[in-house]
Order: sequence, then structure tokens, then C-alpha cells
Amino acid sequence: MIDRSASDARPDAASGTGRPAPASAGIFDPGLLDRCISCGFCLPVCPTYRLTGQETSSPRGRITLMRALESGRLADGDPTLAEEASFCLGCRACETVCPAGVRYGELLEQWRDHQWRGRRRPLLARLLMAVVSRPALLGLQRLVRRYATGKAGRRAVPGGADRPASLMLGCVERGLYPEVSRAVLELRPELAVPGGQGCCGALHAHNGDSAAGRELARKLGERLDGTIVTTAGGCAAHLAHHLGRDRVAELSEYLERTGYRPAGEVRVNGRRARVALQDSCHLRNALGVTRPPRELIAAVADYVELPNAGDCCGAAGTYSLLRPADSRAVLRPKLEAIEAADVDYVVALNPGCLRQLRQGLRRARSRAKAIHLAELLVMAARAANRSTPR
Amino acid sequence: MNMRGDLARDLAEIVGERHVRVDDGALAAHARDATPLFEATPQAVVYPGSTAEVAEILRYATANRVPVVPRGGGSNLCAAAVPLRGGIVMVLTRLNRILEISREELLARVQPGVTTATLAAAAAEQGLLYAPDPGSHTVSTIGGNIATCAGGLRGLKYGVTRNYVLGLEAVLPTGEIIRTGGRLWKDVAGYDLTRLLTGSEGTLAVITEATVALLPKPKESGTGVAYFASLADASRAVTAVIAAGIVPATLEFLDHKCIAAVEEFAKLGLRLDAGALLLFGDDGEADAIARNLDRIGAICTEIGALEVTLAEDVARADALLAARRCSLPALSRLGPLTVLEDVTVPRHRLAEMVDRIDEIADRYELRIATFGHAGDGNLHPTCVLDPHDHAAIERCHKAFAEIFSAAIALDGTITGEHGVGAAKLPYLEERLGTDQVALLGRIKRAFDPAGILNPGKLGS
Ligand SMILES: Cc1cc2nc3c(=O)[nH]c(=O)nc-3n(C[C@H](O)[C@H](O)[C@H](O)COP(=O)(O)OP(=O)(O)OC[C@H]3O[C@@H](n4cnc5c(N)ncnc54)[C@H](O)[C@@H]3O)c2cc1C
Ligand code: SF4
Ligand code: SF4
Repeated sequence: MIDRSASDARPDAASGTGRPAPASAGIFDPGLLDRCISCGFCLPVCPTYRLTGQETSSPRGRITLMRALESGRLADGDPTLAEEASFCLGCRACETVCPAGVRYGELLEQWRDHQWRGRRRPLLARLLMAVVSRPALLGLQRLVRRYATGKAGRRAVPGGADRPASLMLGCVERGLYPEVSRAVLELRPELAVPGGQGCCGALHAHNGDSAAGRELARKLGERLDGTIVTTAGGCAAHLAHHLGRDRVAELSEYLERTGYRPAGEVRVNGRRARVALQDSCHLRNALGVTRPPRELIAAVADYVELPNAGDCCGAAGTYSLLRPADSRAVLRPKLEAIEAADVDYVVALNPGCLRQLRQGLRRARSRAKAIHLAELLVMAARAANRSTPR
Repeated sequence: MNMRGDLARDLAEIVGERHVRVDDGALAAHARDATPLFEATPQAVVYPGSTAEVAEILRYATANRVPVVPRGGGSNLCAAAVPLRGGIVMVLTRLNRILEISREELLARVQPGVTTATLAAAAAEQGLLYAPDPGSHTVSTIGGNIATCAGGLRGLKYGVTRNYVLGLEAVLPTGEIIRTGGRLWKDVAGYDLTRLLTGSEGTLAVITEATVALLPKPKESGTGVAYFASLADASRAVTAVIAAGIVPATLEFLDHKCIAAVEEFAKLGLRLDAGALLLFGDDGEADAIARNLDRIGAICTEIGALEVTLAEDVARADALLAARRCSLPALSRLGPLTVLEDVTVPRHRLAEMVDRIDEIADRYELRIATFGHAGDGNLHPTCVLDPHDHAAIERCHKAFAEIFSAAIALDGTITGEHGVGAAKLPYLEERLGTDQVALLGRIKRAFDPAGILNPGKLGS
């Protein structure tokens, strides 16, 4: 039974008129936080809102939470703040539909810088950050020994590119999928592969250490001459943010820009392969690159557009490790769409997505295989070479 | 113990623990809707999963005198979903099933949490049209649309939400479940409660199911754009179009500040040197559309349009409409606090109203951008402010009070489609008069004797 008089309703100071500008804690850039007008246009595209249907796990709700943290309305140790800062995928789908131009990705970095400062960062994230700071642990040396040319940009790039370009060897890729970098070099042997590459810092920026993220990006920018070519959409967006958009090209962009003409065809069971694409969130949502990878696939196979190609696959950097159950829940509709589309391959543009899709498809005993764009193109090119003598 | 703990336990008994939130974060996230400057914190948020649960929550609330505020997408612009007196925010988005779409009967039966765009898409799949299309259609819910009697970009030819609601299932604050209207195109048994609940802003009953009318989907559609030197010129064109006996589906306009803001987001190549843009569109048979668009274009040119063009294809037309829909959020690029109003005047007085708004904005030294459903006489003058400039916010309130009075003086109203909510309650009496406001209060008490449903709004 409720005591009417004990109501702890808090019709806030100024319901009805202009509320006083709240004191601010300086956690967020106030100009960014002010931008959101709570229209809710971002709700339907947010994967975590789709999972729970609850305002707190929507972009609008999270921005309200950030504001409450900034104004002191929510206490620093508030459990909902902690949960939502971690539950967010950081996919930035919300930014693409926000007419007010809210830069959610930057807000999230600032939020996690505060939320996950020092020892509050999830242990696993701390471990990963330590690992990628030591390239030797990732088997980089092996790869570099095979490909390193020492100095970038000695050879001219065909197709009119007027400046040198270097291949960035992403951390995850070095560790898990060195074959992707090899495939790129088979497509574009002129790319320089300088040794001593560190992490680009995206991992740090997304896990509450944006200062380190910025610093690592800067260092990598110094290490790699000219255009930095990357096979990871997430790294591309992070580097573009810190080094400038024109310093960075994701693989499909680079291939297009340098006039790469896909050769050959990928065939399965005597027919042209059916191939779908998984957009890389940051490539699509932060850099707006969607057309080039589709055109490249369509040149060597039958391209099939998944209805949710642009939705996050749940890999989301460290997310699949930190929140495996949620990560799988986000992936589920994707796997269903892949099955329904009856494709032979799903192309990923980011090693994290590649890993996520491979694991998911294996668990679902799907006949579809996940591969990186570079691998698909190499498969086609090799087929073309085999058939030329004929 | 404290009220929050009790509420959490009691509500969890009704809906299950997963569907009740009393943590500070969730309460903060439900303290406001899309209306700036209004905030109040509830003590609980509950997500019922059935009509029976809604009824049980309301019975409980009446027995314990706890306020309940229904909420759909939280996109309304009059602070109608702000829990002014605290209590329970009841979010209806779990009730999100389309129960039926009937081609024979041209109707749909839906739960209140279905979004407008979801229903429209499902209807379109069957070759049918759900006509009301508020700019917020991807986030607003049918329950919220009915509760606010939402309009949209097709209002001129197709009317507003009210014209499509055939029947409702609703739960009274005292817990009884009523069914009003139904599947019939004609039915005069009793007072028209369907219409009364439509636009009742969650103050009389909670809508738990709606039967809405659908139309056969028009075969084709076409869209054009005319640029003018000023919004007043564009208004004169609107009056002339309607006077010529043309009733197109869409007549929307934007002034130059809105054009610039929208262009920055949508990058459509809109003309930035024009004073106003008039977006016109029609649907139906191809030859009739072509005829109407040509005539509208000719009238615009006669009035002095700087340029008239027709969208070359559907994609371009859709892009133009989508851009118009995001005018309000896009405007916030100019300044993060956007206070928007919703005055409506008889269509032939649009130009006068536009001049009055300009004059008032100048006098109060405010930046007011205006867009709106011109064909409906419905204007959205939007004041763009710095949230920390209290003096300007104060001037803005005064300016809008004058704008309301100006609209009423032109035989208009203080709100055409966004509703009264908490934001316009102070101005309601000026529009309705004392007797009618008192009657609203008596109606409210007949539905809600304990005064628990969305208190502090209509009827309170
Ligand atoms: C960018 C933008 C553009 C917009 N464009 C338009 C437009 O073109 N035309 C227009 O008319 N409006 C427009 N709106 C306003 C808003 O979208 C509408 O008022 C919409 O109908 C609100 O729906 P909702 O589901 O978000 O309701 P909410 O905002 O959640 O609630 C609105 C009111 O309805 C009540 N309510 C909600 N669900 C129920 C229910 N099931 N039973 C009883 N009461 C309920 C609430 O208590 C509240 O009083 C716009 C808003 C934005 C942000
Ligand atoms: S779409 Fe943008 S402005 Fe609207 S609620 Fe989402 S983040 Fe805020
Ligand atoms: S980044 Fe992705 S998960 Fe996070 S709020 Fe935006 S859309 Fe949702």
C-alpha cells in the first residue's frame, strides 16, 4: 500500500519554463551533448533498442543518461550508466539517421573515457589493449619478414594514384587472419608494407582510452607513408578521424580509386557464386562508404543484398568478447537473413566481423562461408589466371 | 519502505520483474519527451504486455492514487508524455503487433505500440494505404498518433488521424475495458467516444487496440518544388492553388532558414538563395497527377515563383519528402534549443499569419524559422535558441504567447496537430473560453474520478 503523502515525485525545478543550465562535470564536450533534441528518429535503427525495446538502451536514452551524468543528476557509480555504456555496440547506426547531426561516436568515446577510466575498464579489454601494444605477440614479425619492403611508396601505383600508399597490418588480422593481408598484396603488389607497425588505437578509443587511441593513430600515421590502406573498416574510421579523411583508404575505396579492374569470376558448383555483403559499421556509418565493395563483388559474382546488410553483426570490436550473449543476440537476425538469401559467401570488410560471421555461421551449420573482400577478389583473379592459357 | 520499492514490487507482480524499471537511469530517461524545457521524474516505468495487464495497473493506480502517464514513441512536441506529477510511466511499445489487415474491409486492427511507418509498410504490402503520415512516422506509435490526433504530410487531401479511426479498445483509469466503434463505416449508437478519445492525449483512457481505415494504394504519385522570394509569396500560392479547386495530397513549405538546415543534412541540391520552398505533390492516376502538378506549377509561376521543377522520379520525390520530415531536427543545427509551435489559421490567412510571425520575431529579437503543412494552414514557427541564454528563452515564451493570440485573432488555433499537453495548457482557455474548459474538466472527472491518468494536462 502506498502512502500518498510520501510521494517522492520530483517535478523538476523548472517543469514548465526554461530549466536552469545544469552545473556540468566536464566529462562531455557540451556542444556535442546539446545537439540532441530527443526526437527519437534514431530509435528504430539501434540494434540494442531492438533487442530490449527499452528507452535506456536506445541512442536517445543513452544521450539522456550522459546528460544526467554530466549534470550530476545521476551519481557517478550509477549501475544503469555502467550497464548502458557497455551494452552500446558503438556501431554508430544512430548517427546516419540523426537529422540534428549528433556525433554519437564521439560522445560514446567521452563517456567510456570516464566510465571505464583506469581499473574500471573491463579486465578483458585491458588485456587486449596490452596485447596489441606489443606487436611481437601478434606474430607481426613473421608477416613483416615476408612482405616488408622497409620503405613505403617506392613503386608507382597504377591507375593514376599520385601518391605512395602503404598497407596497414591490423592487429586482429595479424593475429588471426594474416591471409587477408597476403591477399591484398596479391591484388596490389605495389603496396608498401613497412615494419614496426603498431596498433591504430581504435581499440583503445572504443574502450575508454581515447588519449591513447589518438596517440597510437598519430604514431602509425608517422610510420606509414602516403595513403594508409586498411582492410578493417573500424581502423579506417578511427584513423580518418585523427589523421584526416584523405590519409586513409579502406581496401575497396583504394581499389576503386586506383582503377582496379576485378578479374575473373567466383564459381560454385559450376555456377556463378551468390555473394552477400556485411557492411562494416564504421565504414558505412562514419565514413559513408557503401557502394565500392558492392560493385567489386558484383563484378566477380552474383551480388545479393541482404535486407539487413547495414546492421551491426555484433562483433563491434571487443564487444563479442566482453558481452558474448548480447553479441550473439545482435547477430541472430543477420544469420537468419543469410540463410534466407541462400548465398555461398558473405563478404566482410573488417576482421572482427569476419570472425563473428565465421563463428556464427559455423554454429548455425550454415552452408554459407564468410570471407574477406580481398580473399574473394583473389579467388576470382586466380580463376581467371587458370583459365587464360586456354 | 519508500514508495519506489513498493511500486516496483507491486508492478512486478502484475507484469513480471523484467518489465518494471525503477532505477534512476530509467527514470531519468522517461522524464521527458521530444518537447524541450519540460522535465519531471517518474517513480517507475512499466511495460505492460496485454490489455489485462494495463487494466490491472490502472486499477492499482486508482486504488492507490498513483499518477499514470501513457507513452508511445515519446515523440510528441507538447510535453504530453512528461510525468508532471511523478508516478508511473506506462510504455505501450511491447504491444506492437499488427493483428489483422483486411483487404475486403479496407481496415487494419493493431496494437497501440505499432509504429506508424510499420503499419504503413504492412498496408502497402497488401496494396493498401494508411494515410496519416506524421513527420515522425518511424518513431511515433499508432496509440500516440490517436491520442494526439496526429496530422501529416498528406493532410490536405486525406485528412488527419481522426478520419481513420473506426474503433478503439481502451482501458478506463478505473480498470474497465471498453470497446468503442468497430469495423463499421456507419454507427451512431451512443456518444462518439471514438472521436472523444482521439486527441485525448492520454488523459481519459489508455488505448490498447485500434481499428483503422485503409484506402486502396494510389497507383502513382508525383512531386514538385517551387521556390519563392518569401514565405508570404509561397502562402499566396497555396491560397491560389486551393481557390483554383485543386486539392493535392501535399502542400508543404519551408522558409530559407529551414531550407539551409535541411540541405546541410540531406544534401539534395536545394536552392539556398530563395526565401521559401513550396513542396507540392499528388497521387492517383498518372494523367490526373500530371495535370494537377502542371496547374499548380503554373499558378506558382503566376504568383511570382523564382523557379518550378518537377521531381524526375520516385526516388527524388521520396528524398524531398524525407527532407521535409526532418525539418525540425535539422533546424537544431542552427542552435541546440528549438522551441516549436503549431499554430493553424484558415488557409486564406496564411500570408497574414506569416507576416505577423516575422514582425513578432523581429520585435523580440529572436531567430524564428518557419515550416509547415501549408495546405492545412498549419505553421510550425520554430525558435532557435542557445539553451543557456535565459533572457532569450524568456523572450521566446512572450513571443509565442503573442503568436497564439495573433492566430486566434485570425480565426485560427493554438495547436493544429501537436496537441495541448503541458506546453499549451496555459493558453487553452484563450482558445476555448471558460465554459468549454470547465466542460472538459467534467468530462475528465467522469472518466477518471481519481484524477490519476496523465494529471496536469487536458481536463486537469
Ligand atoms: C521531428 C518530428 C516531426 C513530427 N511531425 C509531426 C507531424 O507531421 N504531425 C503531427 O501531428 N505530429 C508530428 N510530430 C509530433 C509527434 O510525433 C506526434 O504527436 C505523435 O503522434 C506522437 O506519437 P508517440 O507514439 O511518440 O506518442 P508519445 O509522444 O509517446 O505520447 C503522446 C501522447 O499520447 C499519449 N499516448 C501515447 N500512447 C497512448 C495510448 N496507447 N493510449 C493513450 N494515450 C497514449 C501520451 O500520454 C501523450 O499524451 C512530430 C514530432 C517530431 C519529433
Ligand atoms: S535522432 Fe539525433 S536528435 Fe533525434 S533523438 Fe536521436 S540522437 Fe537525438
Ligand atoms: S552506437 Fe549503435 S548500439 Fe550504440 S546507441 Fe548508436 S545505434 Fe545503438
